[in-house]
Amino acid sequence: MDVKDLVKRFGALTALDGVSFTVGEGEIFGLVGPNGAGKTTMLRIIATLLLPTSGSVKVFGYDVTREADKVRPLISYLAEDSGTYRNLSGYEYLSIVAKIYFSSKVDAEEAVEEAVKISGLEDRIEDKMKTYSKGMKRRIQMARALMTKPKLAILDEPTAGLDVFHSQYLRGVVKDYVKSEGGSVILSSHNMLEVEYLCSRVAFIHKGRIVVEGEPQTLKDRYNALNLEETFMRVIEWAS
Amino acid sequence: MGKLMPLVEKEVKDLLRDPRIYIGLIIPIIMLPLMGFLLSTAMTSTMEAAMKEFNIALVDYDESDASEDLATILSQVGFNIYPIHSESLDKAVREARVLGFKALLVIPKGFSQNLLNFGRSEIYVYTIIEKVGIGSASVYSAIDNALNKISEILSVQLISKLAPQVEPEAVRNPLNVTGYTVIKDRVIKAPPEALFGQLLMGYGIMVPVVLMVLAITMTQISATATAVENEEKTLETLLTFPVARYKILLAKLIGSSLVALIGGLVFTVGFFFYYEGIFTMPGLTEGTVDLAQALPLPPPEAYIILAVSLILSILFITSLGVVIGALSSDVRMASSLVGVVVVPIIIPSLLIMYWDLSTLPLLLQLLVYALPPSYPMIIAREMITSAIPIEAVYGIPYSAALTLFVMYVTSKLFAPEKLLTLQYRLRLRRRRRVEGLE
Repeated sequence: MDVKDLVKRFGALTALDGVSFTVGEGEIFGLVGPNGAGKTTMLRIIATLLLPTSGSVKVFGYDVTREADKVRPLISYLAEDSGTYRNLSGYEYLSIVAKIYFSSKVDAEEAVEEAVKISGLEDRIEDKMKTYSKGMKRRIQMARALMTKPKLAILDEPTAGLDVFHSQYLRGVVKDYVKSEGGSVILSSHNMLEVEYLCSRVAFIHKGRIVVEGEPQTLKDRYNALNLEETFMRVIEWAS
Repeated sequence: MGKLMPLVEKEVKDLLRDPRIYIGLIIPIIMLPLMGFLLSTAMTSTMEAAMKEFNIALVDYDESDASEDLATILSQVGFNIYPIHSESLDKAVREARVLGFKALLVIPKGFSQNLLNFGRSEIYVYTIIEKVGIGSASVYSAIDNALNKISEILSVQLISKLAPQVEPEAVRNPLNVTGYTVIKDRVIKAPPEALFGQLLMGYGIMVPVVLMVLAITMTQISATATAVENEEKTLETLLTFPVARYKILLAKLIGSSLVALIGGLVFTVGFFFYYEGIFTMPGLTEGTVDLAQALPLPPPEAYIILAVSLILSILFITSLGVVIGALSSDVRMASSLVGVVVVPIIIPSLLIMYWDLSTLPLLLQLLVYALPPSYPMIIAREMITSAIPIEAVYGIPYSAALTLFVMYVTSKLFAPEKLLTLQYRLRLRRRRRVEGLE
C-alpha cells in the first residue's frame, strides 16, 4: 500500500496534512497518535469510505478513489466500536458475509468454518449477537474481517475497551493470520504494548502529520527510551 | 443478483426478529379484532340488557277502554307496564325515578274521546336517563317504535271505520317509493342507504386506511432499518464490502418492503375482523345488498394500473424511509423525523377518505396529487364504483419520475463522505436547537 501526500479537510478543519508512507506485503503497520490526530480518517480513506481532498492512496496498485470497486475485494475493514446485527446469530452473520464475498457455495462454507474457528466462540456462535459481550462481538467482527483472506486488513483500534483475555486472543489471531496467509495489516491503537507486540513498523501521527516512522526497536533506540510509550511521549512533546 | 440475496436475507431476518418491529406488526392482528369484538359485544349486550327489563310506569288520566287497550298492547310487545297513581305530573315523574323505571308514559284526559272524534290524541313519554349510554337511547327508540306501531294499527282501524271500501294502506302511504342505485353501468334494486356500509366503510374508508397504515409502516421500518445500521455502526462496514452501492440500497428497499407488506397484510386481516365485528351488530346488516355480487368486476387494466401505482408508491415510501434513516445517527432521531415526514402522507389520506377530491380547493388537490402514495388510494377506491380518474392515470409517470429521483438521491446518500457530513450537520443543528430551548 502506498500513501502519497494525503490531505483531508473537513471544512476549515485539516484532519490529514500531507501524509505519506508505505506498507509492504506481510507487514503489520501501526498508526499511533493521540485522539483527533487523524488515525481513523486515514483508515477510512484506505477503506474507500472517505474521499481524500488531495494526494493518493494505492492498494496493490489500485487507487482507492478512482478504482474503489477493485480495492474493496482486496481489503477488510474493522471499524472502531463497530457493532453487530443484534437479531442475527454469529453464524448467520458470517454466512451472509461469506455469500457476499464468495460466489462458490463450497468456498463460502469453508470461509465460515474458518471464521468460526477464528472467533473461538464455539457453541455461542449460534446465539443471537445481542447476547454477546463486547469482547465476543469484537471476536466475531475480527473473524468476519479475516475470513475473506484480505490482502490488506484495516483494523481501527481492534482491542479498544476489551479485557486482557479478549485483547490477547485477538492479538494472537492477527499475528497468526499474517504468519499463515501472508496478508498485510494496518492498525491504529492507543495501546503501546499492543503496537510493540504486533507491529513490524509504526508511524506516530500528530495533528494530521506523521512525525516519525520506523521499526519499534529502532525508534526506542533513537529516542533513548525504555519502551514505545516513552518514545511516543518524547516524540509528541518534541512535535508540539 | 448473487450478492443482493444475502443482503435481502440479512435485512428481512434482522427486521422480523426485532421486537420494535414484530410487536408493532402483531399488535393490529390482536388489537383490531379484539376492539371490534368488544365494541360489538358491549353494544349488543347493553341493548339486550336495556330491553330485558323494560319496566315502564303508566299514569292513565283518561281511564278509558282505549287507554287500557294501549297498555295491554304495550305489555304484549314485551314492556312491563306498572300503573302509578300520582296527584300531579311532577310527583309521577319523581315516583317513576325513585322506583327505577326506565320511562313514564302519560295518557292525558280526553285520549279516547279524541280518537272517537277522529282527532289527534296526545301521549307523553318521559324517558328517564340515569346513565349516559347506548342503553338509554335504545329505551327511547323501543318505546317510540312500539307507539308508532300502535299508531299505525289505530290509523288502519280508523280508516276502516270511516271508509270501509278504502284500502287503509293506500291512504296512509299514498306514495309507494322503490329505491334504485346506479353504479357504473349497473342498476341495483336497493336505495343507496342499503349500500352505505359497503360503499363508504368498505371502499371509501377501509382501503385508504389500510394503504395509509401500510405507507406509515413502510416509512417507519425502512427508516429504522437504516438508522439501526448507523447506530450500531454496521453501515460503515457494509459500505466497504465488494458490493455495488445500489445493491445495498435495493436490499434495504426490498427487505423493508417485504416486512412492511407482511405488516400490511396482518393489519388488513385485523382491520377486516374489526370491521366485521362492528357491522354484524343487529340492525346494521338489515336490508344490505351484496355489492361485490351486484357490481361488475373492474377491468384487468384497472388492476394493472393499481399494481403499478402501488409498487411505485412502495418504492417511494421506502426510499424516503431510507433517506431519513441514513441521515439519522440513531433510531430515536429517525423516529422523530418519521413523525414529521408522515404528516404529508396522513393529510392526503384523510382528504381521500372523507372528501370528493374534485370539490376540494386547488391547493389541497395539488397536495393530494403531489404524493405517489395518494394514487393507489384513489385508484383502489374509484375502480370499484366508477372509472379511474384521468388525473390518477397521469399520476403514474409523475410518480415514477419522482420515485426515481428520490431513489437517485438515496443512492447518492449512500456515500459515507456525504452521510457522515450530513449526519454531523444534523446533530449540530439539533444540539443548537436544544441549547436554544434551554
